[in-house]
Amino acid sequence: MSRNATEWRRRPTLAPTHYVDPRIYTDRALFEEEREKIFKKVWSVVCHESEAPNAGDYRRCRHMSGKELLVVRGVDMKIRAFYNHCSHRGNLLAMEPSGNARRITCMFHQWSYDTRGNCVAITRQKEGYQDRVSRKDMGLREVRTEVGLGGFVWVNVDDGCGPLEEFVGDSLDYLKEELSAKPLEIISYHKAVVNSNYKLWYDTNSELYHDFLHHHNRKIALIQPGYWDRRVHVHDHGHVSVDSMECRYDAYEGNDGRQRRLGWPGGEVACHKLIDLFPTMTFILRAPAFRLDTMVPLAPDKVAIEFRGFAVKGDSAEDRAARVRDHNSIWGPFGRNLPEDEIAIVGQMMAMKGGDDSAYVLHGREEPSIQNEIGMRHYYGEWSKWMERGASDPFGNRAIAAAE
Amino acid sequence: MTTTGTATREPRGEPTGSGFESLAEREKAVRELVARTCLTMDAYDFAGYLDLCHPDFRYTITTYSPELRKDITWLDHDFAGMETLLEVLPLHASDHFLRLVMSRHLGVYTVAYSENDTRAAVVSGLQVFNTARDGGVTELLAVAKYHDVVALEGGEAKLLVREVRLDTRMLGETGSLIPF
Ligand code: FES
Ligand SMILES: [Fe+2]
Repeated sequence: MSRNATEWRRRPTLAPTHYVDPRIYTDRALFEEEREKIFKKVWSVVCHESEAPNAGDYRRCRHMSGKELLVVRGVDMKIRAFYNHCSHRGNLLAMEPSGNARRITCMFHQWSYDTRGNCVAITRQKEGYQDRVSRKDMGLREVRTEVGLGGFVWVNVDDGCGPLEEFVGDSLDYLKEELSAKPLEIISYHKAVVNSNYKLWYDTNSELYHDFLHHHNRKIALIQPGYWDRRVHVHDHGHVSVDSMECRYDAYEGNDGRQRRLGWPGGEVACHKLIDLFPTMTFILRAPAFRLDTMVPLAPDKVAIEFRGFAVKGDSAEDRAARVRDHNSIWGPFGRNLPEDEIAIVGQMMAMKGGDDSAYVLHGREEPSIQNEIGMRHYYGEWSKWMERGASDPFGNRAIAAAE
Repeated sequence: MTTTGTATREPRGEPTGSGFESLAEREKAVRELVARTCLTMDAYDFAGYLDLCHPDFRYTITTYSPELRKDITWLDHDFAGMETLLEVLPLHASDHFLRLVMSRHLGVYTVAYSENDTRAAVVSGLQVFNTARDGGVTELLAVAKYHDVVALEGGEAKLLVREVRLDTRMLGETGSLIPF
């Protein structure tokens, strides 16, 4: 039976933890609040150490708070991150996405900085400032940075934040072997600016119910033994992990009928492990390929998603080619799965953004299998703590009771 | 991998090796073949596209990543792989894309003959536009170059190698399930 306006807006007959108010995906004030209360407070990956392998290598990155960052490997081989922001009059320092330099010189008035963020040259300093401005006070803004847990570069722009280990907790333990057996090396990078809310991408990555969307996943996983035995596990701080299974690559028409023999050091051949970290990251190992998604939310209805693919440092040429192929044929911009997921979250936003007359969004599946939506519920539990708002009624004004 | 011709011949009265009647015929066959690959794909006529390809066909989509300061290969198929990919596409959400009008705009820049005139290295400029069925808005999806090798044998032209060398690395909001 179709619903009238009241019925459409009525709370579902589920516990309030099992659905969310659609305005958490569309409201601009909430989005600004997320930036202040979450994005500027938590750890996130901005790149991988293999993107700056040599002394002096730098990488221009965007932090989820929206701030431009400059990640630099110093002459001491230590990786540091700074605001990519000249101390003089705020110009962007590095304009290229990556490069190598012992000194970064701002193109505007030619102030220079070394790889530790010290300001080392101010043009016509004496003449202009006499003794009123000192180079030692004009260093770059350095942000809390840790390299680890697979060689990722983790950043937190809150100087008073807790340690990375505490934030990650035991959520990555499940990939510990794979992330530490051998160093990772980046093989693919691309970005998509998608007209949707960042949480909708995270939702998609953390609910496996949508395996029905992917012809590829239906074939290699959903109809295969072991799929329904998998479980979703929740970890402190909103993180989630999903049990593995042996994917049957040979069941997908596009794989030449061949099962994969190449695994991942420390992991099983053809395993499929997935970990979502609150609020914007997903690690997926579908051996032999490894993927990381990170996001920079730009607006309630716009998100930049960065996709990285990884291989194992020291791979043979043949293994490397196999990882690249299996990564990009499914997860690259011409891959089979990624566009499908993106189409879905664009569609969600198109339907939901028409004002506030959207129905509640259901996160209520409780089946004891991989398609339990506990991952999303756990995420919004964490979101509510940071935001001090319930995700099912963030403004406390939309209480149309559930039907009897 | 970027393929370019190794030797360019001066126009002569009669081409050798490739089995064409005249230089003009040969040139026409090369240019038409490259254009037809676009027209067949625009029409989602995958079988027609494969008919234009040589049995030793190799297809790649590559780009240079300034972020990683290296080349990336996003798609890599031989003939069989391409055939399977095109067969399986309609089973993916690509039916969404099949409802888009895709338009490949092509300009052949250079044609260079080699190997006793049995190979033509063709470089073309390519722009791919998507037109939405809903409202009919057209968006530029990608700018690229085709680096093709055309096999000329027995008076017939077939596409032997295609490298789609992308300038565009952010392909719309969602990437493209359909290659070009
Ligand atoms: S803004 Fe950088 S030197 Fe002036
Ligand atoms: Fe998906």
